[in-house]
Amino acid sequence: MPLFHAGERIRVLDLGKAGHVRIPAYVRGHVGTVVQFCGVFLNPEDLAIGNAGGCVVGCYRVEFLQTDLWTDYSEYPDDTLVTEIYEHWMEPAHG
Amino acid sequence: MRGYHDIGGSLSGPIPRTELPWLDWEKRVEAIRNLLGDSTRRVISLDEMRRGFESFGPEKYRTLSFYRRRLEAMIDILEEKGVLTRAELAAAVENSVQEPGET
Repeated sequence: MPLFHAGERIRVLDLGKAGHVRIPAYVRGHVGTVVQFCGVFLNPEDLAIGNAGGCVVGCYRVEFLQTDLWTDYSEYPDDTLVTEIYEHWMEPAHG
Repeated sequence: MRGYHDIGGSLSGPIPRTELPWLDWEKRVEAIRNLLGDSTRRVISLDEMRRGFESFGPEKYRTLSFYRRRLEAMIDILEEKGVLTRAELAAAVENSVQEPGET
């Protein structure tokens, strides 16, 4: 069952993990809106070290305002960026 | 913790918009990767290979081309799993018979 739902505001965590992670640095700490639950998948952080027996994790498409991500992005204030974020990298954002 | 490969948002200068040829050896690297990662073999996952070239260190990573990174990472992981050693691979390449039609 998905923990987050479309329309919900979430903040991307910065887990400070070494090794292979799929969450780019430029979205960490930023607030976005869940667009879609994509299903559950084996955790790429486990697969990267040859562990195919770990728990599955939810994955979501999350939309960010470009102006929230970049300090010098002022020309097109409505532009958005959608990227996929695994559930353990997300927390509810309030406000 | 930001990997040296995680370059989204970094200044890059102008992007060269030239079409690069897909070289024969590069296609072979990708074919081998597909075979090693397919659902029957599962020898190397895409994530393992990525962990491989994300562990090269920035110097080596930046020096190698896209397919060279993939090739080197696959060899590293195969060595790590005890499938082959670089010495065995070098010997096999040395002893390989040239295929007909190749120069």
